[in-house]
This record gives sequence, C-alpha cells and structure tokens, in this order.
Amino acid sequence: MRDTTRKRVFLFFGSVFFLLFCYATVNLPPWGSYRGPYGDVISRVGVYERHATDVVNAINYDYRAFDTLGEEFILFSAVLGVMMLLRHEEGEDTREVGKVEDRMHLSMTVRALAMPAILLTVVFGFDIGLHGQLTPGGGFQGGVILASALFLLYVCENTESFRRITSHSLVESIEAVGAGSYALIGLSPLIAGLPFLTNILPLGTTGDVFSSGTIALISACVGLEVTAAFLLVGYTYLEEIITGQVPEE
Amino acid sequence: MPGVLHLLPYFVAAWLFFCGLYGLVTSKHLVHSVMCLAILQSSTYILLLGIGYRIGGAAPIFADIAPGKLTVDPIVQALMLTDVVVEAVVIALLLAMVVKAHERSGTVSPDELRTLRG
Amino acid sequence: MNAPSFLTPLPVAVPLVGAALMACLRKWLSRAAADSIGILFSGATLAISSLLLLRAIHGPSVYWLGYWFPRGSMALGIGLVAEPIGAGLAVLAATLTFLALVFSWRLVNSGSNHFQPLMLIFLAAMSGFSLTVDIFNLFVFFELMSTAAFALCGLKTEEPAPLQGSFNFAVTNTIAAFLILTGVGLLYAVTGALNMAQIGLALGSRHDPLILFAFTLLICGFFIKAAIVPFHLWLPDAHAVAPTPVCVLFSGLMVQLGLFAVARLRFLVFGQTFAHHESQLRAILIALGTLTVIIGGLMCYAEHHLKRMLAFSTISHSGIMLLALAMGTPLGFAAMMTYLIAHAFIKSSLFFCCGILLHRLRAVGERTLFAKGKTLHWTAGVWFLGAFGLAAAPPFLTMMGEAGISKAAEDLGLSWLSWVCFFGGVFTSAAVLRVGMHTFLGWGTEPITDEAAEIGELPETPGEDQRIFWYQYVPAAVMIAVPIFLVAEPRWLAVLRDASAAFTQQSAMLHLVYTGTSVEAHLPAWTEALLSSSIRGIGAFVVAGCLACTSVFRLKLRRWFRVGAFLESGIRPLRAMQSGHPGDYVLWLTIGLACVSGAAMVWLRSAV
Repeated sequence: MRDTTRKRVFLFFGSVFFLLFCYATVNLPPWGSYRGPYGDVISRVGVYERHATDVVNAINYDYRAFDTLGEEFILFSAVLGVMMLLRHEEGEDTREVGKVEDRMHLSMTVRALAMPAILLTVVFGFDIGLHGQLTPGGGFQGGVILASALFLLYVCENTESFRRITSHSLVESIEAVGAGSYALIGLSPLIAGLPFLTNILPLGTTGDVFSSGTIALISACVGLEVTAAFLLVGYTYLEEIITGQVPEE
Repeated sequence: MPGVLHLLPYFVAAWLFFCGLYGLVTSKHLVHSVMCLAILQSSTYILLLGIGYRIGGAAPIFADIAPGKLTVDPIVQALMLTDVVVEAVVIALLLAMVVKAHERSGTVSPDELRTLRG
Repeated sequence: MNAPSFLTPLPVAVPLVGAALMACLRKWLSRAAADSIGILFSGATLAISSLLLLRAIHGPSVYWLGYWFPRGSMALGIGLVAEPIGAGLAVLAATLTFLALVFSWRLVNSGSNHFQPLMLIFLAAMSGFSLTVDIFNLFVFFELMSTAAFALCGLKTEEPAPLQGSFNFAVTNTIAAFLILTGVGLLYAVTGALNMAQIGLALGSRHDPLILFAFTLLICGFFIKAAIVPFHLWLPDAHAVAPTPVCVLFSGLMVQLGLFAVARLRFLVFGQTFAHHESQLRAILIALGTLTVIIGGLMCYAEHHLKRMLAFSTISHSGIMLLALAMGTPLGFAAMMTYLIAHAFIKSSLFFCCGILLHRLRAVGERTLFAKGKTLHWTAGVWFLGAFGLAAAPPFLTMMGEAGISKAAEDLGLSWLSWVCFFGGVFTSAAVLRVGMHTFLGWGTEPITDEAAEIGELPETPGEDQRIFWYQYVPAAVMIAVPIFLVAEPRWLAVLRDASAAFTQQSAMLHLVYTGTSVEAHLPAWTEALLSSSIRGIGAFVVAGCLACTSVFRLKLRRWFRVGAFLESGIRPLRAMQSGHPGDYVLWLTIGLACVSGAAMVWLRSAV
C-alpha cells in the first residue's frame, strides 16, 4: 500500500474512532469526582487491617497481590526474551559491530563525584525499596533506582567495571530467586489451609519498617528481581551493541 | 466551558491514542514504531489516573494524614505503577527485536524489511 | 456451599515456580535436565488441573485469593472460579504444553535453556486466564500470555524473516492489550469495581454509549488475539517464525482463549446489556465471523508454506467458533466449546506433523517437500486424518461441534450459517489434503509456490540425527486419537452442555461468585442435527478432495477444471492485505476498530 493511501485511509478511520471515543467519554463521571466505592473502602480500612500506611502498596502486595505476581512474571519473561533474542549461538563467529573506545577520558570532577553519587543512589534505592509499606515506594521503584546506580557506574567509569559486576552468573539466579520467592511466599499459606497469597506474617505496629507482614517481604523480593532484571537487560544490550561480541553462555 | 474542562483529560487520552496509532501507521523506522507504542501506553495511564482523581483529595498515603480523610483513588494508582516498570522492559524486548532485525538485514525501515508477503 | 479447593491457584503458581527454578539454574543445567524439569512441572500442572476439573464438575466453587472475601456486593480481592469450562481450558493448556515439551525433548533448539521456562510461564498465563473472574486480572494474564509468546517467537534468530513476524505480532498484540486496558478503565469508572460479577451486577441493563464503547474496546482487543478479520494479519507471520512446539500452543489454545474471554464478558459482565438488542449484536458478530471464515479459508488454500497455511486454517476455524458464539444462546456456546476442544487437538496434531517434516525433511515449503515424504507412513496417516477432522467429518469431535452450531443457527432461523462452516471446512481440509497428496503420495506435478514458501524456514533441530523419535510421534498420534475417542465416550458432553448452560446465565454465575453455590442448569443434547451434520461433513471432505485433486493434477485437466490451481495462486487484494508491513496491519486494525465501534454505537443504542 502506498504511503499516502495509508495515511489518508488512516486519517479517515482514525478520526472516526477518535470522535467515537470522545463521544463515549461524555458519559463518564466528570473529572475530579471519583465516586466508586472500591478505592474509598480500601483507603478507610487498609491502614487498620494491614498496618500499612501506604495503601497503594497494600493493594499491590496484599489485596491484589495476584495481579502483581503476574506483572512481575511479565517482567521476568520479557528479560528472558531479551536474553534469548540477543544470545550468542554456539559456533557463531563473533561480530564486530563497531567497537567503542573503551577508555573514556573523563574529567577529574566527574570521576570524583561518581563514587559519592553512586553511594547516595544505592542508599536512596534501599530506602525507597524497604519503606514501601509506609511511604510511596516499594519493590518496583527501589529496584529501578538500585539498577540505575549501576548504570551510573557504566556512565562514569569504563564499561569493564560495569561488565564485571553484571556479567556475574549470580545476577540471573538472583533475578529468578526474587521472582520465584514471590510465588513461594504466596504458596506458604496453603500449608496452613489459608488461600494463596494470604498475609500470614505478624503485622507489627503501623509506621514501623517491620510492619504489614508479607507486604514488606514481597516488596523486598520484587525489588531484588527488578534490580537484577534491569541489570541483565542493560548488560545484554551493552554486550550486543557496544562491545560487538557476546561471550559464550 | 466547564463541561469540556470536566472531560479534558479523557479527550487528551483519546487524542494520544489516535496519535500513537497514527505514528505506527506512518512510521518509517522501527524504533519510532516502538516509541509510538509507549505513547499508546501513556494514553491509557492518563485515562486511568483521570478516572481516579478527586479534587481536593490527598494522596492515599496515611503516614502523615489521619485515616478516613478524603483521598484520591488508590486502586488505579496500584494498577498503573507496576505497569510502568513492566512495560519499560517489554519495550526493551521489542527494541531487542529491532536490534536483531537491523543486525540481520542491515535496515530498520519497515518498507525495506518486507520478507513475509502474502 | 461448595468448599473451594486449595488446588485452584496451583495451575498458575506451580508452573511459575518451575519457571523461576529453571531460570535460576539455567547455566548449570544440562539440556536433558532442563527438559526433564520442564516436563515434570507441566505434567504436575496437568495432574493438578485435571483434579481441579473433576472437583469443578462435582461442584463448582469460587476461591478468593489472599483471604479477602467480598463485603456485601463489593469484592475486595481477586477471585478465581473453578467451574468446568474454565478448569477444562486449564487442563487443555496443560496437555498441550506437556506434549509440546515432550516433542521438543533434546532436539528442538532451546536457546540455551531459555525456552522451557518461557513455556511454563505461558502455561501459567493460560491457566490463570481461564480461571479468573476479575477483569484486571484477565488483562494481566493476557499481557503475560502475550509477552511469553513474543519471547518464544524470538527463539530462531538466524534469519531476517523471524524478526519481522515477531515484531508485527508484538505490535498488534500490545495494541490489543492497551485497548483492553482502556475498556477496563472505562468500566471501572462507571461501576467502581474490577470483579466481573460485581460489574455485571452494577451495569444491569444500562447501555449508554460509554458502555457500548467499553464493550467494543474489550471485544476488539480480544478479537485481535482471536485473529478475527480484520485483526488477523499478525497470526500467519507469527506462525511462520515460531518454532513448532510454540505454534502448537498458539493455534491450539492461545487464539481461542480470546474468544473465551469475549464469551466470559458477554455473558457475565454484559449479560443484560443487550437484552433488547440481541439480533443487532448477533448481526455484527455474524458479519465478522463470516468474513473471517471466508477470508481464512481462501488464504489458507493459497498458502504453500505449511505453517502459514495451518495458521490461516486456524483463522478460518476461529471464525466458525465466533459464529457459534454469535448465536448468544447456551446451545451456541456449548457448540463453540466442543468445536474449540476438537480443533485444539486436531490442529496441534497437524503442527506436530509439520514439526516431524521439518525435522526429517528439513523444509516446510510445499515445492521443496514434493514427493519427499513417501516413506513417512505414520505421519501421512495422522496428516490425512487431520484433514478429515478439519472438514468436520463424522468420527471427529468437530462434527459434533458443527452439529451444535447448525442446530443453534436453525433455532434462530439462520440455517445458511452451516453453509459458511461448510465453506471453511472445505477449504481448510482441501489445503491439508493437497499438501498431503503432494508430499506423502507424490501425486501430480510440481506444486505452485509463493514467496513465503520459497524463503521457507531453517530447521529447528540439529541435522546429525534425522530419525524420527517416538517422542515426536506420540504427541501427534495422541492429539489425533483424542477427538475420536471423545466422540465415542459422550458422557463428558452432557457435563459440558450443563456447564455451558450455567456459564451463559448471568444469574447463575453471580450466584456462584458471591455465594459459592452452583445453580443447576441443563441443556438438552443436539442429537437431531447429527445426521445432517455427518452428511455435510462427509460432503465437505469429498468436495475438499476434489478441489485438492484439481490442484494436484492441474496439468492433466482442461483449463476450465483447474479451479484448484486458480485459487492456489491467491486472490490479489487478499494477498496485498497480508503485506508484512506493520503500518498496514495497524491500519487494518484501526479500520476494524472504527467499523465495529461505529456499528455498535449506532445499532445497539438505547433508542429502540
């Protein structure tokens, strides 16, 4: 199909769809007047029932923990997919896809600031990740911040240091352990005759870090998994693109 | 026009959806197509968050406010926040496909990559 | 009240644990160990799902995760419903995955053991999809199924063809996910609920434009997955690039789960919405279904790449299932489920045969395979039986499904629909027969070929040992034997009929979800339609045979009789549609979206 035809046909049908969308939303409750009972009920009881002040995370890791389990495994399978796509086949010649000068001549200022910045980021990541049940944060966010600390390492130092850490075979295992332990934590209540993913750990006092039972624990496992996942993706991409060769598995 | 203002976020979501689809249809570069998917994703987020908003509502974090105070809807936020991180990695998967396609056939233009006709 | 079984979440949890375990030990496991763990976990899931199915037949139950029971009519947590239809689909998913993993034992390239965990995740997603009764959970498992599928398509990375196919697949299915999420969001805004039963209760019989638009977004998203025209374009490309065991799962179950989701939504969430507009909704769905059957059938016959041909045949049969669903009656739904189960088995056995051909003869193009399969007697036997099954001929379960569809259509005065099914059966069966005659019997002259078949596919197994092993035969043989066996043992059909009757009654499902008690429902058998269906089935096979012969022996026939050859070269506009360009696919998607939502908003509105 020629480009202009495609564009014109799309503009017609796309506009029809857009107008129908707008027409339908006229019946929505006006913006800013959320009415539904579900969110309000959980806001009201979430703190008392689960001793977690961050109701959003209470929903994610307790009320609707099954959804989050599924989402976590979406991340997991996407990472498996990236690794499988960009893998190095047995017996394949290594490809030289344009080597990048690995010795970057960074200024003294950048290199001096690099280490403190990385340390700060790591501490920040752990803080956000472990306080998920109290303040906005939790496993997903903490994991991304921790992974970005290591990317800072790649930006500020040369790729060798980054590769040394992320190519370790444990990174993959850590990721799998993080993902699998979520499912296993969910399975443990079954022994006591309770449904899957019930919060069975002691709930502690509201406002304490060690509160809200399995919410904190699951959040930590997810954080582990997300960190490792982003590191694996970063490592696989870097190996494929920058250095031009992927080592044998 | 207070009526339209009340619906503006939803119109924006619809418009973003349209833009994302337009980008996909007219794209000349596979990386651009993947980014259009990210635009579609944003459209759904705007719709969801717009649905959950309450004027004058506080954030649903009761660390510093008393439970029972009027807050915005925590459910849509919970639905969304895992999605953001997950979709980032799914986009990484799609980009890996693009990288592989470029490596094998030397091009990232959908017009030139047509090896599966009919 | 039927006590919920602790087994209910296990079909999801067990494969996920298995996948994590295998990914953890991936680098240190040998190929045999990884395959064994995969087979072990999928076998365990099969056992668990079967027990769950037996339990569900005995007494359906609802399982609230996290110990969050509903308060009043509000569901706080996520619920799983163990009723025969959903549990049956979970069993089917486990069976297909188990046999696919057995088939790929030590031979199919596993991408350094990445393949097995992804298959287990795929299985978990399909099981969760069938059991859940929460609409956002449905979306999450839809996304999980899709992501595992995209990843699995990336297994064969040696040729440029694969990446284009998996990219098109990924783009269209991701758009589908976003459409579904938008629909979920709109429903949530209106009802403040995410549990399907609660939404159904809250919606009542409202059908303002918003509800209709949410409905079209949801069904269009699921129709993209179900490969209904014009959302079907991604399926053949995805099949051409995915390895055989993965194709088995795609065509066998993943595509049909889209239709199952539409059924779930139609009967549970929108149960009363279309009370006064039944015939209009039926018209829209029948139009889509008929278009799908016809286009799928014509393109199926015009394909010479075996897997793409089978993919188009899946599209055609998906259309037949949509026609059954479009009836909107319990009988229609029961027929759809019967056909779904039958088709899953037959199609997967055909794909296993494809895999054997690819392994032994190192090709999937019809011309390259010409007369090379003369020594493969067992494979030929299964292949021709498969053709028989696709035509909905008597000893096969597809015939019973088709009988149900024609009875349902007749009840509504639409008896011409059985001729649409006949058309689909003829063309898909003829294509399989033609390939069989060329490859296994070596009849006729060299086959016509096309671009896709010329590009072909690289073999997925190492070339050193080209013997066909028992674990490659067994899945194909089992899959073709089951539909025949199921017809001979009809007691389960009564269970399916009653379960369908309960599934389609919104009040029965509401009762089940909120109180955990099941309501007795009954659907009479459709034995009157069996005779005419059998005749039609045999007729379809005969016509298919004749059509295939006109293709195979085309040079010996006079010009007017070369119908087959004419159809084989394809119909220009249809081939142009299947261009391989993602922009084109998204364009057709938009056209379909605009047409369906326009039709819905205009014809299904309140103004009666």
